[in-house]
Amino acid sequence: MITFSINGKEVQGQEGWTILEVARWHGIEIPTLCHHGALEPYGACRLCVVEVNDGKRSRVVISCMYPIRTGINVQTDTPRVLNVRRWIVQLLLDESPESPKIRELAQTLGVTPSRFQKKGVDFACHLCGLCVRVCQEVVGVQALSFSNRGLRKEISSPFHTASKECLGCGTCIYICPTGAMEQVFLRVHG
Amino acid sequence: MNTESKIGIFLCECGGKISSRIDLPQVCEQLRYESWDHLGVYPYPCLAPGIAAMRQEVEAKGLNRILVAGCSSRVMKKRFPNALASVGVEKYQVEMVNLKDHVAAVHEGTPQELARKAAALIAGSIANLKLLEPYEPVPLNFEGPALILGGGISGFAAARELAHQGMECVLFSRALTPERVLDELYRTFPGCRLFCGELGELFREVFAHPLIKVMPDQPIDYIIGGVGDYRVGFKGPDATVTEVAGSAIITALDREFAGADTDYLGGGERVCDLLDLEERLIEGDDSDFKPGKMLFWINSPEHGQAAQEMATVAAWRDSLVLAREHPQVKSTVLYPANVRLPLTGADLVEARAHGIGLQSYAPEVHPVVLSGYLTYVNPSDHLEHELAWDNLVVSAVPGEPVAKSQELLRWLPIYPENGGALKKSHVKFWPDQVPDESLFFTGSAGGLCDLNEVLQQGKKAARGVLRLREKALEGRLVSPVVVQVDKDLCEGCGLCTEICPCGGIEHVKPGSVALPREADNHLCTGGGTCAATCPYEAVRVLNNTAQQLEARIKALLGRMQADEVLGFVCGWGGLASAEQAAVKGLTYNKGIYLIPVNCLGSLDPFILSKAFLSGAKSIMLAGCTPTHSCHYAYGVDHCWHRVNVVKKLLSLAGLERRRLAMGYVEVNEPESFVSMVESHMDGMEKLPPLPQDDKTKARLWAIHATLHRPRVRWVLGTSLRRPTEKEFPGSQFNAVDADDTMLDVLREEFLAARIIKALGDQLLNPPGIARIMEEPVKNITPLLPDMASEGRITLKSWEGGYPIYAVGKA
Repeated sequence: MITFSINGKEVQGQEGWTILEVARWHGIEIPTLCHHGALEPYGACRLCVVEVNDGKRSRVVISCMYPIRTGINVQTDTPRVLNVRRWIVQLLLDESPESPKIRELAQTLGVTPSRFQKKGVDFACHLCGLCVRVCQEVVGVQALSFSNRGLRKEISSPFHTASKECLGCGTCIYICPTGAMEQVFLRVHG
Repeated sequence: MNTESKIGIFLCECGGKISSRIDLPQVCEQLRYESWDHLGVYPYPCLAPGIAAMRQEVEAKGLNRILVAGCSSRVMKKRFPNALASVGVEKYQVEMVNLKDHVAAVHEGTPQELARKAAALIAGSIANLKLLEPYEPVPLNFEGPALILGGGISGFAAARELAHQGMECVLFSRALTPERVLDELYRTFPGCRLFCGELGELFREVFAHPLIKVMPDQPIDYIIGGVGDYRVGFKGPDATVTEVAGSAIITALDREFAGADTDYLGGGERVCDLLDLEERLIEGDDSDFKPGKMLFWINSPEHGQAAQEMATVAAWRDSLVLAREHPQVKSTVLYPANVRLPLTGADLVEARAHGIGLQSYAPEVHPVVLSGYLTYVNPSDHLEHELAWDNLVVSAVPGEPVAKSQELLRWLPIYPENGGALKKSHVKFWPDQVPDESLFFTGSAGGLCDLNEVLQQGKKAARGVLRLREKALEGRLVSPVVVQVDKDLCEGCGLCTEICPCGGIEHVKPGSVALPREADNHLCTGGGTCAATCPYEAVRVLNNTAQQLEARIKALLGRMQADEVLGFVCGWGGLASAEQAAVKGLTYNKGIYLIPVNCLGSLDPFILSKAFLSGAKSIMLAGCTPTHSCHYAYGVDHCWHRVNVVKKLLSLAGLERRRLAMGYVEVNEPESFVSMVESHMDGMEKLPPLPQDDKTKARLWAIHATLHRPRVRWVLGTSLRRPTEKEFPGSQFNAVDADDTMLDVLREEFLAARIIKALGDQLLNPPGIARIMEEPVKNITPLLPDMASEGRITLKSWEGGYPIYAVGKA
């Protein structure tokens, strides 16, 4: 049994659990975009940052992948955490200005688009990869993948053609938090 | 294995998403008198602390049935079974009820109202779980060679790959020498024979390899057995049947090209198609090719871009051969501009060196053939140009799959789609989820593609067989038990085999006597239409039986109000669109209770009658679109027929047919699902619940009894569409007559069932029976002697000139 504290509250957990899991179990909400109970943690969105103090020094880490340790002191909403989270939302907003989830987050955190915002995007996807992972981990096929890199990164089927692997089960549309998958699904399923 | 059921129910709060809409303590309260061994509310059962808490309960209370009431089983189906495997919970013992997407997110209403609905859905699942049966997979042997049938080119690539990996195989081919194979290749892949240098190598190696046995292709008499042990009977020219045994079957089927209609253009000898030209290239000599201009025109956009692309490559290759072997002929290829020129830079250099012209034309303006000239519009300058020709070659028509396909379709789970392409039955989805490839189908008959891709497909199929062999060597090749056939009930009629879309039900040698069927669960996709069809109710889908579903709807209906509606959704279109509605934030009437089934085709018609008998006001079914998206070939189609029969019986009983409604929806159409539900519920609002008097009850009982009759089930089963049939049965030649026949059978059987119900355990004469049934005596008297001779009723004695009947045999 590992004992540590979140926001001053003493909590317990087992070897291998992550901070996010323990926090949620105790009703402490930490915002996430790419985390889902059915899938392995992925650490893509970095939104779930928390401040971890192990007595010697304090660090900002992502809670969805950080394994709990005895004696650490976790803070989920210090000014430092909020500042980092605002910066992350700023970058995400510039990357995916049309995503409803990210717009909502930006509004609550008071983030506005910067001058580096991606222009000409009419697509809500924010590249959390839930669809790609659910297709592989749960459905058991690989009909979806990321393609391209950097600014041109997108979700598509291999070679941008209708995938023969796709079962048409629609799990990707179900898990998509932005609704962008509806369009991609049409292309992938063919 | 522990057979006594110990049910653990885990309710999920989902971080407030469920608990804020549904009063979960109230749900627990309402479930208090159900039989369970654990019931608890958890903030997040899917996260590690939740899993640990579940494990703890499983170990402490010895739970062997797990019910998680939270979110979608489509997303969570692996999470809980995988996480609980370490404490001895098997995959089939975990079930989920989707409170989030079927209740919390889609209904308006107070948390208390929704708690009642949630409790009803959970109670239904508990009834279902109580009837789960232990299940043990069967290990399979995998010995003997792989059999490569069909004679497609991909078979050669598969054979070589298998031989390289040290596995024996038997290849059945029409051509028995490497040269012959090459010579015949142009029929299925025009333009390839003369160009692919390595192809000759491949064929020579296949014919010479000690592990590969090439046998002449003969008509197939039967294919029996299952994965690991197939037996194929070949009919020789003298009608003797030779049997070849093998562990796996690779089906290599290609599409045969047909000649184009060159008479339409006229021009006699000067105009030909690609196939004719290739024939001349194979057989003719230099004198056959007079000096002049040869124009290859890639026409016929109606066959699609892929066909045009292939024709372009074929034309380019043929013109290259012409340039090399008959340099007196100057070739030009005229291809449509919307086709991507499938040539490499090196090809273009070669074309320039040989003086081969490659010219695109604007496809919007159809080129016009004139004597010696062809006019076309150049897409770069929009001007009409002319090309001179002495010989015009038009592209061939990508025809039907080779004739051999028809033979194999009868035995293998491959069926033709709209448009002529062959498709193998869908990958397995339940209970093993991961597509377990054990039927290998390759070749251009499945979809037009070029030679390289077809060879790759062959190689891939061979690797699939090798993977199966590897699994077998490690002892991991097991056959999941999906479908069971009760040998005592089975009469060997073969209806299940005929309608099975996946080839899961074993075939029997032709000419042999009626034998009980067996299921090859490796091929079974769990569609379950076989179980719903069997006239003798001998087929059942393990842990997905009609009895379980009956128990489930009974428990559910016991908690539903009189004006609420039962809904069945198929696991694909229906369920997915219902859940998608929740994700999109749509809402619909909370009076509908959704029961997910794998495929609507697995719904036995007596489930529907049972629901009415148990007090359902109306039933709505939502499945995939029958024409193209049903995942079990024609499952929805079959369901439509059964619904139709139940509707007929409802109107015979004097009840409203519209109490039963069927809808079609796609995975990504939540709006359609919502409008479907709303429309049905609006229609139902005007209808009162079914009367609960004895007369209506007796009629509903008679409907239910009618649907259990083998005769009714047989007539219904024979009218279902077979997987090899392309035509929708609704458009059949004598639709009205066929329906009338069905109605006659139903009328007779319904009346007989009502007589049995009226008799009950009494002794009655015909007027007495008629009085109870409120029918004229003359309607029932013709039926009574027949029923007595069938042994359904007995003539006990005569009284006052009337026979006295009782139920049962003498």
